[in-house]
Amino acid sequence: MKKVLSILLASMLALVLAACTANESAGNEENDSSNDNSDGGSEEKVLYMNNGVEPTSMNPPIGFDANSWNILNNVMEGLTRLGKDDTPQKATAENWEKSEDGTVYTFKIRDNAKWSNGDDVTAEDFEYAWKNLVDPETASPAAFLAYFIEGAEAYNKGEGSRDDVMVEAVSEKELKVTLTSPTGFFINLTANPAFFPVNKEVAENNPEWYAEADTFVGNGPFKVTEWKHDSEMMMAKNENYWDKETVNLDKVHWAMVNDPNTEYQMYKSGDLDSSAIPSDMADQLLDSEEAVIEDQAGTYFYRFNVNKEPFQNKKIRKAFALAINQKEIVDYVTKNKEEAAYGFVSPGFTSPSGEDFREHNGKMVEPDPEKAKQLLEEGMKEEGYDELPAVTLNYNTSESHKAIAETMQQMYKKNLGVDIELANAEWNVFLQNQKDLKHQLSRSSFLADYADPVNFLESFVTDSTMNRTGWSNEEYDNLIEKAKNETNDEKRWEYMYEAEKVLFEEMPIFPIHYYNQVVLQKPDVKDVVRHPVGFLELKWADKE
Amino acid sequence: MVKYITKRLVLMILTIFIIASLTFFLMHAIPGSPFNEERGTNETVQANLEEHYHLDEPLLVQYFIYMKSVVTFDFGPSIKQPTETVNDLLGRGFPISAELGIISIVVAVISGIILGVFAALRHNGIIDYMAMAFAVLGISIPNFVLATLLIQKFAVDWDVLPAATWSSPMHMILPTIALATGPMAIIARLTRSSMIETLTQDYIKTAHAKGLKPWKIVIKHALKNALMPVVTIMGTLLAGVLTGTFVIEKIFAIPGMGKYFVESINQRDYPVIMGTTVFYSAFLIGMLFLVDIAYGLLDPRIKLHKEGGE
Repeated sequence: MKKVLSILLASMLALVLAACTANESAGNEENDSSNDNSDGGSEEKVLYMNNGVEPTSMNPPIGFDANSWNILNNVMEGLTRLGKDDTPQKATAENWEKSEDGTVYTFKIRDNAKWSNGDDVTAEDFEYAWKNLVDPETASPAAFLAYFIEGAEAYNKGEGSRDDVMVEAVSEKELKVTLTSPTGFFINLTANPAFFPVNKEVAENNPEWYAEADTFVGNGPFKVTEWKHDSEMMMAKNENYWDKETVNLDKVHWAMVNDPNTEYQMYKSGDLDSSAIPSDMADQLLDSEEAVIEDQAGTYFYRFNVNKEPFQNKKIRKAFALAINQKEIVDYVTKNKEEAAYGFVSPGFTSPSGEDFREHNGKMVEPDPEKAKQLLEEGMKEEGYDELPAVTLNYNTSESHKAIAETMQQMYKKNLGVDIELANAEWNVFLQNQKDLKHQLSRSSFLADYADPVNFLESFVTDSTMNRTGWSNEEYDNLIEKAKNETNDEKRWEYMYEAEKVLFEEMPIFPIHYYNQVVLQKPDVKDVVRHPVGFLELKWADKE
Repeated sequence: MVKYITKRLVLMILTIFIIASLTFFLMHAIPGSPFNEERGTNETVQANLEEHYHLDEPLLVQYFIYMKSVVTFDFGPSIKQPTETVNDLLGRGFPISAELGIISIVVAVISGIILGVFAALRHNGIIDYMAMAFAVLGISIPNFVLATLLIQKFAVDWDVLPAATWSSPMHMILPTIALATGPMAIIARLTRSSMIETLTQDYIKTAHAKGLKPWKIVIKHALKNALMPVVTIMGTLLAGVLTGTFVIEKIFAIPGMGKYFVESINQRDYPVIMGTTVFYSAFLIGMLFLVDIAYGLLDPRIKLHKEGGE
């Protein structure tokens, strides 16, 4: 026993000593390398960013979220790329032609568009990628975006064939796309990472080409040079990029730090150039010079379930909508400088006549406790209620959603004299129940995939997976259908204005606030572009 | 002894089997699915996916498929990251978690014992009070609070250590302290009280009377008996450190196993849930078993098996 114990102690001691010495020598290395960084700052520009988590997938049709887009949008490029003004600019495509009726597009791909391995980017790479996007085997969550392409929806739903998807490489550098209708915002869509090309030769040789840094082949301003899964990623300027002169940064380092406080502390200690703002510090930090506030196309809102009592009644729905004061919620509860929402389409979409969608349609719903109370009484009379059926408000578990829900509970108590219950559930459970129409009143959010109001409004057509209210309105469905098929842009916008009015006349939903993107960014970092549709752009970024 | 070990092994396998079965049925009892997305795929695609992962089969059939994967320890690819198998994820995350856990345990044991011994030797003196005040703080401050505090002081305010991530030994210092402080405090208190008790024993007085050097008495005679209670709670501490790593890993952005454990449940990534749960429980049960064996070896008074007396 004596021996056992002494061996045990000795080995522990040895381990600790080893750890200590290792620490010391590494400490020196650490200092050396950090010195190198500061000395070499003028030679090599490295931007330190945080992606929070590992990108869901670097395969363009699968990585359909901000975590993947942050990376993908900088190592790949579609036919177009959103410019600093958030409108689509020529990128891999040098120009394009539209047929008379607006349904056939022919893109000419740049001669000097190259993959990071030196291959030419060809029309065939696009054809291959887009057909994969809608291939039911790929199971892409973004496939619905491509339903504007002739034959895509049928193929994706298992009813058509790959050959019938009307994307065709006419020649090595010419891509012809036939749309089901003259979709006015198709060019906008081509900037979305789901529509990025895939190097066909590489992908056919190695179906998992996107899984590692060594095998990843992109065509964007940067290339992936190092990728330690769930830990970090390194990007370097892509020498084969057609517009490499524009790219200022030499490298971008991506950390994957998923704790907002740690992220902020790393930012403070200089390990990161940009950080989200921990919610409990928003008050102090939002007014600092390092805070960057950008719009995000999206709306935080609530869904009624029109199949459940008492919300089958339009007046009761309206009463519940008018009893909420959005301004008070953003000023005193979320305190994140969001804009209070009185419509569903967020501001920032400019019509052909140069008018903002939001300004044209104005406030669709405005807090009005008096009217709310009156509407509630009328609604209850219509339904023959002596007492309002019990109402439960559902939200997915999160401190910020809870704070909003509790505020709404008080507003209903104060403005309508109605006591409602709150219930929360973990996200996946909540989402399932919302889709199964098990809630009465539930928290919701919408983030736009592409910059067009129809993207918001199509959510509430009868069969949309985003509907989740049980609401179905023929007039509304028709207006959206028309908005998608109209060639005349002015008219198209008229239909969309009209559709939003119908939506709020019926009130199956009501808005709380529009989203924004709030980050801290070091003052020496310039021209990082954060598009309202959610992708981050480092092509022009610079560090002084 | 052999009989005892065999019996324990059988019990261990039974325990793992029960854990695996419970996990399976619990995870299928919660609503939601791995393909439940805000912007979902269409029904045909959903159906294809469910077929591919056998999620359309009756639950019992799925149960047998999973049990087979548990037995062969091949859980197949993750549903959410199909380019990687569950074993890949475990192989990547576990060594890092283990490294953090082992270093923390070692640091906790050694510093805890040293602190405890000194406190006992200077019983009711200044050192004792300071050591115990430190220990009480260590026990009462949760490791995630301590972690954030450490980062704030050492990384942000003084800028002497890196704030987070796991790329050099320097990065290991703060998470190790955060994780080791709690167990260290417990060990220190335990060592102190049992040391004080041991020091009053007759055989220690005899040793003094024989004229042995005081440090020799402490290390050779007193400590080895005083440490028995520490060995007893090693099992519990180990479990604490293992689960503690989840929180610490998240705060320090350490790419260990904790992330897969927690994320897989949120995402309903069934193969990863099964893989991490079975692996973790097997590991924990195995460690507890080793602690028990070590306990028996260290203290001959403890009989591991009833037949020993026959």
